Amino acid sequence: MLSFVLRRLLSGAAMLVVITTIAFLMLYAGGGDIARRILGQQATQEQVLQKAHDLGLDQPVLTQYLNWLSNAVSGNFGQSWFNGQDVAAAMASRFPVTLSLVLGATILSAIFAVVLGVLAATRRGGWADRIVQVLSLLGFAIPGFLVALGLVIVFAINLGWFKPTGYTTPDEDFGAWLSSITLPVIALAIGGIASVTQQIRGSVIDALRQDYVRTLRSRGLSQNRVIFKHVLRNAGGPALAVLAVQFIGMFGGAVIVEQIFAIPGLGQVGVQATTQGDIPLVMGLVLVTATLVVVVNLAIDLLQGWLNPRVRLS
Amino acid sequence: MNRWKSAAAVAVAAALALTGCSGGAKSTSSAGTGSTSGGTLTLGLIAQATTFSAADINWANEAPYGQAVFDGLLRANPDGTIVPWLAASYSYDTALTKLTMKLRTDVKFTDGTAFDADVAAQNIKRFRDGASPNKSLLAQVSDAKAVDPATLEIDLKAPDPALVTALTQNAGLMESPKAFTAADIKTNPVGSGPYTLDTKATVPGSSYTFNKNATYWAKDTVKYDKLVLKVFSDTTSMLNAIKGGQVNGANLTDNSLVDQVKATGYTINPQELDWTGLIILDRDGKLAKPLADPKVRQAMSYAFDRTALLKAIDKGYGTVTEQILPKSSPGYDAALDSTYTYDTAKAKALLAEAGYPNGFELSMPSSTLIPSSTWSIISSQLKDVGITVKYTDAGNNFISDMLAAKYPATWMRLQQDPTDWQIFNFEIAPSAVFNPFKASDDKVNAWGKTLQTGSAADAGAASKAMNAYIVQNAWFIPWYRVQSSFATDAKTTVKVQVGNAYPYLWNFAPKS
Repeated sequence: MLSFVLRRLLSGAAMLVVITTIAFLMLYAGGGDIARRILGQQATQEQVLQKAHDLGLDQPVLTQYLNWLSNAVSGNFGQSWFNGQDVAAAMASRFPVTLSLVLGATILSAIFAVVLGVLAATRRGGWADRIVQVLSLLGFAIPGFLVALGLVIVFAINLGWFKPTGYTTPDEDFGAWLSSITLPVIALAIGGIASVTQQIRGSVIDALRQDYVRTLRSRGLSQNRVIFKHVLRNAGGPALAVLAVQFIGMFGGAVIVEQIFAIPGLGQVGVQATTQGDIPLVMGLVLVTATLVVVVNLAIDLLQGWLNPRVRLS
Repeated sequence: MNRWKSAAAVAVAAALALTGCSGGAKSTSSAGTGSTSGGTLTLGLIAQATTFSAADINWANEAPYGQAVFDGLLRANPDGTIVPWLAASYSYDTALTKLTMKLRTDVKFTDGTAFDADVAAQNIKRFRDGASPNKSLLAQVSDAKAVDPATLEIDLKAPDPALVTALTQNAGLMESPKAFTAADIKTNPVGSGPYTLDTKATVPGSSYTFNKNATYWAKDTVKYDKLVLKVFSDTTSMLNAIKGGQVNGANLTDNSLVDQVKATGYTINPQELDWTGLIILDRDGKLAKPLADPKVRQAMSYAFDRTALLKAIDKGYGTVTEQILPKSSPGYDAALDSTYTYDTAKAKALLAEAGYPNGFELSMPSSTLIPSSTWSIISSQLKDVGITVKYTDAGNNFISDMLAAKYPATWMRLQQDPTDWQIFNFEIAPSAVFNPFKASDDKVNAWGKTLQTGSAADAGAASKAMNAYIVQNAWFIPWYRVQSSFATDAKTTVKVQVGNAYPYLWNFAPKS
């Protein structure tokens, strides 16, 4: 087990180097006069050139990347070119905000997907199954940003049940925090619920056909006990994999949601930094998200093994 | 059973992780109260604070950040007139190259350091030599020194009529000298201003919280106990914040939102800050020979239906104009606004007189940063008189390429500065930022000299003559002054500021 984890971490580190290299090159391929954007319209050309020199933008791209990499390895991710904030501090302050949205959306997705997926699978062909499938289709079809906008308009602006923008930390006011993340979490979760529900429905249907289920029923176990104690464990593996993919994908979805709700998370800073060409911030973001992918994939593999001993490594 | 207990433990851990997920994050959902006694003023801005270091600080849409924590040597009223502030009085010598300022002696920074002439001199020189995009405001300053603790002397290489205006802006902001070498100077300001930055409650790039400065020397001028500046880089979230009553005031980035904002009960405070139109950069015809002939430039000006352009591009929010000077300028002449009434026949006749009966091809930059309808309209209107526009997509380098003299003409939207001297140096002078081809005209240069060294009356006359000359020779083809709209809620009043994109902080007040 330990060697498996170490191997995965090493390959993850290699992947981080590849991803950051590609991201850095893409930032430059996009073109754009970053120094001019920092200084604005009023600055003279001489000021712009001086700024470019101060930031090292006049050096070859590879040199700039290697400078960034050597600093990053020692824990120095630099400062934002646009607001002077330390990149590591910016990531540290914003990551928990995005994580709270994504975790909330993932948990919501898991709960609703299990309920809806099992309902559909155990009433296959019936009206409940049809309704769940239509709802799943709608969840796939409607873009996340439209869901977010709709929620804001209906529940925040028209009904006034929630604030349309902003974020409150849980330690400041737990109730206000829950209120501030409710609509964003729902907006993020819709797509996840749709995918995982279908996955669970399919896996439960397959599992219900197995001989061991007939055996369990013949021993007098209740339907609920059969499903929730036995069937779901076998059906859960593929669903967990889909949920893991959704979890990672929700960090991308959080970009739109954080913009619409003006939530100070990674997505909001990512849009600002990318649009402006704030390379230190963008690279910090790339590193955080790539690390997250590595860690989550590893965690899911370990969780799969815990759920189903047959897939564990010997 | 053990597995289910483990699962339950995982679920509890996840819930705890959620509640613990505040990290360094701060609340950003505070709503302004705007009550008559203290309360909170919450404002929406489109720009984050680039830096809080007074030597490098920005202005325009970032002005509130600096105004919250720093005092300036002087202040400007909403109509642009200058009033004393940290400098109680000022005067020039007869050569207009020595500005003497008498300073207040009762001001302390929030770290206890006393404000005096030496501190003022250091700040002036730091801004002159710093990294602010506006450092050229102090380009003529050769030295700043303390004659005595209450007297500051600023020496100039040459007269600068815009200097005192500059000292009402970022060039005049005063920072505690103890902060000059602080590691967190960009994010943790130390000023003497009406508020102090609450760094714990601030999320850089998203929301900035300021608390009233309890030791402020001008307490009576501060109308709110707390100030929250929220950054909305997205139009939708800004609009939703307005509809949800979460801000007391915000700058609208798009006039198409005006009706929606009005419908929520907010008041629109209009201001005309920028002019929009074409700049004929290559007036000497180095890249595009036809542009050297005034008749060609005049023909281009006749080719544009300004009223239709205002309606099509900016939904009618603005005022048609044919001059780059603002209405507040002594050089402004309302009669000049009917110099080039839309007339394609006249345009074609002028082109024929200039030797271009079949028109010519004109190269211009375009960019996806600007709505494509603007480019289509320009090429369509010029095509009607025989001029074919060939666009090159400059992308994010739109301004850089323009200022690098790569194109003979361009569409642009430029600010109308509070003083004619600033406009001259920014757009007209041979060394002006927006004169990349360094086009020079002896008459205009002479008027510029009078702007710089003449009395107020002489400068006003020179400005009028120069403006008329530039309009008649079509150096620029302005279409209209576009309206920018600042929205305030029912609890708040504001006076917009001449020459600045954002109202000055001290002009916000609770509605009584």
